[in-house]
Amino acid sequence: MTTHTKTNLDGVHSDVKVVEKPTKERSHDLFLRFLGLSLTLVATILVGVDNQTKVISYAEMKFRATAKWEYMSAMVFFVVSNAIACSYAAASLVITVMARSSGTRKSDFTDLVITALDLVLMALLFSANGAACAVGLIAQKGNKHLQWMKVCDVFDTYCRHMTAALVLSIIGSSVFLLLVLHSVLKLHYRSRS
Amino acid sequence: MASADKPVDTEYSRPTSSAQAPAGVDLFKFDVILRFLLFAASLVSVVVIVTGNETKYLPRPRPAKFRYSPAFVYFVAALSVVGLYSIITTLASLFAIKNPALKAKLLLYFILWDALILGIIASATGTAGGVAYVGLKGNKHVDWEKICNVYDKFCRHVGASVAVALFGSIVTVLLIWISAYSLHSRVPK
Repeated sequence: MTTHTKTNLDGVHSDVKVVEKPTKERSHDLFLRFLGLSLTLVATILVGVDNQTKVISYAEMKFRATAKWEYMSAMVFFVVSNAIACSYAAASLVITVMARSSGTRKSDFTDLVITALDLVLMALLFSANGAACAVGLIAQKGNKHLQWMKVCDVFDTYCRHMTAALVLSIIGSSVFLLLVLHSVLKLHYRSRS
Repeated sequence: MASADKPVDTEYSRPTSSAQAPAGVDLFKFDVILRFLLFAASLVSVVVIVTGNETKYLPRPRPAKFRYSPAFVYFVAALSVVGLYSIITTLASLFAIKNPALKAKLLLYFILWDALILGIIASATGTAGGVAYVGLKGNKHVDWEKICNVYDKFCRHVGASVAVALFGSIVTVLLIWISAYSLHSRVPK
């Protein structure tokens, strides 16, 4: 609040108190955190429970082959990092709500730490998406230079589910990126006011 | 009439109470050093993986190049982009040390672009690392044989390149942490 002394043309002094309006607190990040939580949760569950068993006949022998996430290291990395991101989103949602309701001084440092952790998790999610995408691409198309045959013509439903989970996880990781950008923009506007 | 002699009020000539933003923490020297490290890491990664071609005769000559896997091609492309970005921002950071007026504006842009570049370099590291791991250990469930027992020099080059790219992504995380902390310290209490 600042006090000005205005003088009218008549010479009448009046004290005017100007109340500065507080800047609007943007709280879109709670919605973003919930969105990230739900997307990574769905991706984890989709990959975690999905399996497909096919009977393959090869040279007059029949044997069953199963496609599960445990059988491919890149998929293990994908499931683990989506699970970590999901639980982190839940924990940071709770911590952010608690810190916001307690006050602004303490919540500044909490927000900074949460932003830093958001950044690390975003990088982890992006790398897990890259690994799953690369392995899925080899499974889809094969690689004749390395003699790695494609398997998605056999396990077609499993490959479709993997693609859907990958797309969800990519959207979820860009939600984490938006969270970081949102926190930084909020810091920037507060440092300029 | 006495009021006519009164000076017109200071409404127009009032000195604006400029809220001087606190100078905050200045970590631009570390910023320049880390950006140069990022440039060095991306340059080393690209050079090491591009020179890792190897040909084994089994008995037909069968080469192993980074171009034979789309994952490694993406890795080289992404790290080249990161290298170019790190050159530009190292120069921008050096320029900001000379003109301190730019620092506040530059911090925001650095964080935004650094976050995008972190996404790029992290995904490139994960992509190449995932495919390299399959090449190292093989996967008997899908009948993909390991190749690292045959092509040892190629595997060493790819492994070193991915490790240096992982170091580069850690450097990018540190860069964003430094910029966020500088921005946080400029917030007026």
